[in-house]
Amino acid sequence: MAHIHLEDGAFSPEWILVWAAVLTAILVPLFYVLKKRAFSPRRIAVAAMCAAVVVAVFMVEVPTPLGPVHLSFTPLVGMLVGPGLGALVMLVVNLFSAAIGHGGWSMIPANTLVGMLEVTIGYYAFSLLRRKLGIDRFWAGFSSSALALTAGALAVVLIIGISGIQGSDLSREEVFRNTLVLAILNVGIGIIEGVVTGFVVSFVGKVRPDMLGEKAPELPSPASAEPGRA
Amino acid sequence: MAKRQLSRHIPDFRFVTFLAESGDSAVHRMNPWTKVALLLVVVALVTTLVNIYSLLLLYAISLVFYGLGRLPYQVLIGWYTMPLVFVLSLAILFLFTEPGDMVVSVNAFGQDVGITEEGLALALTLLLRALAVVTCSLTIFMTTKYEHVAHVASRIMPKTLANIFLLTYRFVFETTDEASDIVDAMRSRGGGLIRSATREGRAFAGIFGLAFVHAFDRAETIAKAMEARGFSGEFPVYGPVARPSLAGYCLVGIGLLFIAISVYSRYISDNPFSWW
Repeated sequence: MAHIHLEDGAFSPEWILVWAAVLTAILVPLFYVLKKRAFSPRRIAVAAMCAAVVVAVFMVEVPTPLGPVHLSFTPLVGMLVGPGLGALVMLVVNLFSAAIGHGGWSMIPANTLVGMLEVTIGYYAFSLLRRKLGIDRFWAGFSSSALALTAGALAVVLIIGISGIQGSDLSREEVFRNTLVLAILNVGIGIIEGVVTGFVVSFVGKVRPDMLGEKAPELPSPASAEPGRA
Repeated sequence: MAKRQLSRHIPDFRFVTFLAESGDSAVHRMNPWTKVALLLVVVALVTTLVNIYSLLLLYAISLVFYGLGRLPYQVLIGWYTMPLVFVLSLAILFLFTEPGDMVVSVNAFGQDVGITEEGLALALTLLLRALAVVTCSLTIFMTTKYEHVAHVASRIMPKTLANIFLLTYRFVFETTDEASDIVDAMRSRGGGLIRSATREGRAFAGIFGLAFVHAFDRAETIAKAMEARGFSGEFPVYGPVARPSLAGYCLVGIGLLFIAISVYSRYISDNPFSWW
C-alpha cells in the first residue's frame, strides 16, 4: 500500500473528534461549491465508477522485488476527476475500506484527509507539469503521483505525531521520529506506484486523452481517404 | 459460488455479498439498524476502553458474533492480514522505544536495545482494538443484504454521497470481475513474474488503465440511462426496513451502558462504581 491506513483505537476519542471536525469543516463548503456547479448524473456516475475502480484495483497484487504491494491510485483519481469530486471519491473509498478492515471506522476522517491531500496534489501537480509545462505524459504522471504520495506519507506522520498513539507514553517528538521511519518506507512504495501511474497515464492518454482533459487527435475523415486502398 | 479472488488477504466484495444474500442465521435476520448501532457501540468501546482484559473480552464477543452469523472462520484468518500489517507496521517501532521494563534486550554499540513490557502491551492493545472492530464490521457486511445496506446508506448519508456510495457498491462487482479477467489472462500467458520494472509496470498499467477507461465509458452509459429515466437526484430504494425489535433496542441499550461505564472509568474514576 502506498500509505498507512490507521486502524480503530489508535487515536484517543478527543483526537478522533478533532479530525472529524477538520474533515467536516472542509467537506461542508466543498459540498456547497459542488452543489452550486450542480451534481450532474455524469459527475455522480464518474465519481462512483472511479471509486469502484480504486476499490477493485486495490485487490490486485503487484509483484515487486520488495514483495507484493497494493496500489491505491489516489493521485490518479485527482488527475482524472479533479480535487473536488476526488475528495468525495476518497470518502466513499474509505467507507468501503473501513467495512473490510482496511482502515478503521473512527479513522475515516483522518484517512480521508490524507486521501484528499493526495488527490489535490496529484491534480495540481499534473495540471502544472502536463497542461502548463507540456511535459511528457509518463513523467508528468510519475512525478505528480510520487510527489502526492510522498506528501500523503508525511501527512500520516504529521497526523500521528500530533494526535499521539493511545496508550503510549512517548512524547510527540518521539512518536514523530518513530513514524518517520514508516514514512520513508512508504515513500519507496510511492515511487513504485508513481512508475505504474506514469504508465497508466501514458496508456489513458493514448486511448482516451479526453479523460486527462486533452483533445483527441483528429482522425482523417473517410471522404478524404485515398480511393482503392481499402 | 465459484471462489475467484484477486488476493487471499483482502476481503472480496463478491464473496462478502454472496454470504450476505445466501446465508441464514440469527445475525442475518437481525434488523440492519440494530447491526449498525452495534457496530458504532463496538467502535466507541474500542476507542474508550483502556484495560487490556476488557478489550480481550470485547474481541471474544465479536468472534462469537461472527460465529452466530455462521460465517467461515478460515476466511476471517486470511482477511486479518491487512489490519495485522497496518497495526504491526505502526506498533513495531513502539515495541522497542516505549519506556518500561525490558523483556528481551541486546547490547548493540554500547546501548541496550530491546522490547519493553509496555511496548508489548501497547502492540497487543492496538491489535485487539483493530481485530475486534474488523471482526464485527465483517460480520455485519457478510450478513446484511444489499437492499438493506442501500436503505441504511440512503437514510444516513447526504443525498449525493449516498448516490455515489450506492453506485460504487453496485458496480464494484463488475469492475472486480473485469480486473480478475485481465489478471487471469495475463497469468495464463506467463505474466505476473518479476522480470524487469519497466515490463512489469507496463503490464500492470495496462490492467489498471483499462479498468479506468472502462469505468469512464460505463459512467457515460449510466449517466445517459439516468437522464433518460428522469433522474431527480435520488435513487429509489426498495425493500423498506422495519424498526428494530425490543430485543434489538435492549441489546443496543446494554452497549450504551457499557460505553457510559467505559467513559466514566476513563475520565472520572478508575472504579466505575465509585459513585454508588
